[in-house]
Parts: sequence; C-alpha cells; structure tokens
Amino acid sequence: MAVLEARDITKTYQEGVQETTVLRGVSMDLHAGEVVTLEGPSGSGKTTLLQILGCILSPSGGDLRIQQKPVEGRSSHLAAVRRRNIGFVFQQFNLFPSLNALENVQYALNLKGLKGPAAKQEARALLDAVGLLDRAGYLPRDLSGGQKQRVAIARALACKPAVLLADEPTANLDSAVGAQILELFRDLAKRENRALLVVTHDPKVRSIADRVLQIHDGRLRP
Amino acid sequence: MVDLALKILLHDKLRFTITVAGVAFAVALVLSQVGLFFGLLSNATLTIRHANADLWVTSHNTPNVDFAHQFPETYVNRVRSVPGVARAGNLIVTFMNITLPNGAEEGGVFYALEDFGAWNLPWTVKEGDIQDLRRGEFIFLDESAKRRLGDFATGDYREVQHNRLRIAGVSQEAKSFTTTPVSFIDFRRAQEMNPDLLKGNTSYILVKLAPGADAAAVKAELHRRLPFNDVYTSNEWATKSEAYWIKNTGIGLNAFLAVFLGVLVGVVVVAQTLYTSTMEHIKEFGTVKAIGGSNADIYRILARQATIAAVLGFLLGLGLAFAQKPAVEAMNLKLIMPASTISVVAVGTLLLCLASAMVSFRKVANVDPGLVFRS
Ligand SMILES: Nc1ncnc2c1ncn2[C@@H]1O[C@H](COP(=O)(O)OP(=O)(O)OP(=O)(O)O)[C@@H](O)[C@H]1O
Ligand SMILES: [Mg+2]
Repeated sequence: MAVLEARDITKTYQEGVQETTVLRGVSMDLHAGEVVTLEGPSGSGKTTLLQILGCILSPSGGDLRIQQKPVEGRSSHLAAVRRRNIGFVFQQFNLFPSLNALENVQYALNLKGLKGPAAKQEARALLDAVGLLDRAGYLPRDLSGGQKQRVAIARALACKPAVLLADEPTANLDSAVGAQILELFRDLAKRENRALLVVTHDPKVRSIADRVLQIHDGRLRP
Repeated sequence: MVDLALKILLHDKLRFTITVAGVAFAVALVLSQVGLFFGLLSNATLTIRHANADLWVTSHNTPNVDFAHQFPETYVNRVRSVPGVARAGNLIVTFMNITLPNGAEEGGVFYALEDFGAWNLPWTVKEGDIQDLRRGEFIFLDESAKRRLGDFATGDYREVQHNRLRIAGVSQEAKSFTTTPVSFIDFRRAQEMNPDLLKGNTSYILVKLAPGADAAAVKAELHRRLPFNDVYTSNEWATKSEAYWIKNTGIGLNAFLAVFLGVLVGVVVVAQTLYTSTMEHIKEFGTVKAIGGSNADIYRILARQATIAAVLGFLLGLGLAFAQKPAVEAMNLKLIMPASTISVVAVGTLLLCLASAMVSFRKVANVDPGLVFRS
C-alpha cells in the first residue's frame, strides 16, 4: 500500500528576479515496509525533494498524497501532516544540545501529543530499540557521532510515523559506523512496517535498499 | 513534559544570570523609587491622617496643611451649631523660629490646639504629658527634630520667637513634607507669640461628626454658613495636600522618570538577551518545527523563558528593594511599598517580559525549517 504518492512535483526557487528550477516533474510512491534510497549528484535536488515529501516545503506544482490524503500548501496544514506522519533524520543530527538522549526523544513525543510518564516510558523503549538505553542520561556532546545518530533515529520513530525520511544520515560518520546505523535503521523500519527513504550520494548505501531511485537535474531516472 | 525552554536558558548560565539581573535591577529601581515617593508623600499628610477629625474647615484656597492661612477663630461657634457636628475645635498651624543653643535659628511648624487629647495630636508621645501645654510656657518637640535642632531633652529650655519655653515632652513620628520639624504648643500661647498674624485668628477648624451624621450633608451646611471657607473631608484634604507637593516639587516627575528608566532598562535587557539567545538557538527552533512543532509550541517556549526570567527577576528585585529599607530608614526616609504597588509591579514585569519575547517570536515564527538540512 502506498503511504506516500508524489505526482509531477516541480519546484522553482525564486530569489529576487532570478528563478532556479530544481525539480522538473518528479513522480514516485513509497510503500509501507519498503526501504528506498535516492541517489544523485550534488545539486540535483535531493534535499529539496525530501523537504517537499516531508511537508517542510510546499511544491511549486504537482500533487502529494500522504496516507491517501492530499497535502495542501498552507503552512499550518503542512505542520499538522508533518507532526502526524513524518519522522526526520538529518545529516547534522540536530539533537537539542541542552537535552540528554532520553529527553531528546521524550521531547519529540511531547510535541506529538504524548505527555507525562507514558512519554518517558516510550522514550526509554525507543532508546532501547536503538541500543542506547545505557546512555539515556548523556548530553549529545558526550555521545559519539554514531550514538547521536541512533538517538536521532529513536526520535524519528517517535509516535510511529508512516514515513521516515533521512537526508545523508551517514555523511558525518565513518563508513563502518555508517553501515551499522543504516542497517539498524532499516531493521527498525521493516519491523514496524514504515516506509523509509534515505537520500545519499554514497552508492554504498544501496546495500540496504529494496529499490533505488536516481535523480539527475531535477528528474528521476527511469 | 521535557522543559526545553528552561534547559535552553540554563544552557548558557551567564546570559541567564544577566537576564535575571536585568529584571531584578529594574524591579528594585522601580520599587524603591516608588516606595520613596510614597514615603516622602506620606510625611505631607501624617498629621491629617492621625488627627481625630472627620472634616477640616480651611480658609479659602489653602494649598496644603503646612501653608495655612488665617480666619477668625469665632467661626468655630458657627460650626458647633451645625446639626451633626459632635464637636469642633480651632487649630493653628504656623511657622516660628527656634533658636539653637549655638545661636543659629531653625524654622519649625507649630500645631497649636486648645485640647490636644481630644484630637489625637500628637499621636505618639514618648515623654511628658501633652496636657502640660495648657499651662503656658511649654512646647512639645518631635524626636525627629533632633536632626535639625540638635539633641534636646524634656526639661530643657528653647527660645521660640524670642520667648523662652520649656520642653514639656517629646513626640514621635510627627514630620512634615518639607522636613521642617513639627512641634506642639498651646493655642493661646501661639496667638500671643505672633499677635500680628494670629490674634483672634485660627488656621483650621477640626470637626468631629456625631455618630450616624451624613458627612456630605454636614459639609454642605458648613459651606452655606461659612461661604468664604473651604470644607474637606480628611481624605480630600490629604489628597489635596499631596497633590500640591506632587505638582510643585520634582518628586512626581522624579518617580515617573525612575519608573520609566526601570522599565526601559528591564525591557532592553530582557528583549536583547532573549533575542540573542533565540538567534543562537535558531537551528533548534527549526528542529522543533521539523519534528512536528507548531508556531504555538515555539511561542510557548519563548513565553516560558520570559516568564521564568520575569518571576526570578521580580523575586530578586523585591528582595533587593526590601534589603535597602534599613539603609534608607537610617537616612530618616521611608520606603513605603504597599501590596497593591508590589502586585502592579509584578504583573507589569510579567507583561513587559512577555512583550520583550514577542521581538524574538516574530523572528522565530518565520524560521525556515529547511534550515535543519543545511550545515
Ligand atoms: N532555499 C533555496 N533557495 C534557492 N535555491 C536553493 C535553495 N535550496 C536549494 N537551492 C538550490 O537548489 C538546487 C538543489 O539543491 P538541493 O539542496 O536540493 O540539492 P542536493 O541534491 O541535496 O545537493 P547536495 O548533494 O549537495 O546536498 C541547488 O542548486 C541549490 O543551490
Ligand atoms: Mg542535500
């Protein structure tokens, strides 16, 4: 079942009088339990597409449906869809430096509406799933890069979003650690039947993919 | 709930300290200046508030209780015949010079009554018996006058308008707005000492109403019978005396400027520190949005930070203001901080801190969550 359907997505950035067309009609689906990688050279529009699929950016044209429901461009609507359906993992980890590992996950649960002791318990379960329960009280600055990314994965899994999106999640990690992290991420997504899209320009990442998409100059290669 | 707002604040302890200190400084400044203002002003009406009188009859357009004008003392008989008046008595308030042992002269404001006991003046007697004043060559001085007149004791003699008078006792707390010492003397003796001005005259008529009498009705009748005098309730008279000093000295403006400066300093410090903190953490706010936070969530974070700064700053500032009290009192001044003023300052602090947070909010509301994808 397609949890995410994108049809003819276009995106043109407008900066003053200058227009840059980054996406030129991208159509793709993501299915529950599927792991897809998106490859492409620098500047080809990968991050832009990911932001549109993740309801952070609205497209200039085309249709996006998540869980069979059309996504509109209003920012409050985007935020609500994002909160309910999307889990993000970033290249820079983007953990909150003043919160410890457990609190980072717990805070995401709080934002998504799970509060109180239940949130704390769920956060512990998520940290346990990424193998970091013994580091629950550590601040991000005391965690290694791989550990940070595990916390970020636990955070992305908060409240079981249907779609997991990762932008170059291993680019800041050495390759052995990166491979471990990717496998962990894939296993968790599979176990929970989530759709996972990983953006990368590293072909090695393919090893985890059920399907590989390639983007070039704003278009997907057939 | 994970308190991200507090964690961000505490993450940079130095800046948090500066924010709280800024609020505390502003609160302490405002409270102490307003307290000083009320303290100074309270001296202007001490005698009015303590005298056991419901109404004051003054000569027309007397500006405040210290700057009295005279009118015939026999008017008191007309007052006594008004229904609803339980009793009425003449009061002279007049300036006279007191010669100090070293030959210098100091002005003093003298309250002269026939029956001090009946009007509760002076209200605190430290030494001596106020009824002794009736025997003629006596005065009561206030303890606070020692700053101006030097040390004195019951039984000493002082020269007032070149009359040698004996100090029959000492009162406490009887001060005037101008810091001129308040002294007490018999009504007839005061008239004899300055006959040109006071012979056959009085400055005020104090009126005590009969139980159940209607103050407004009595006031109207007094006004009808004494058309060239003014009649006030003691509250009206106190307000008029205060208004005179606020208008004719800088204290009103001074208090206003201090409040204005306090507010300005507080708002600038809070707005500035919250703003730089917000800008430094802008990527975190982007993350909040990317992982599902709304603008309301963001505002809640900023509002909570402002509230924490406001509450801590206010409490610290309140503590500072009260800590100043002994030092201020040692200078013979008063800090009066009524609960109502403290509440207004508390609410004002909170509102201004929240308003300061709005400066940051405008920036964060527009933050692009795409920020989190950039390095
Ligand atoms: N906010 C923006 N405003 C204007 N142009 C933008 C903006 N974001 C991206 N672009 C441009 O769009 C193009 C695609 O950018 P994008 O970040 O999607 O590429 P990418 O495939 O993720 O590249 P990389 O592999 O280097 O991360 C680039 O030319 C970039 O300069
Ligand atoms: Mg990119």
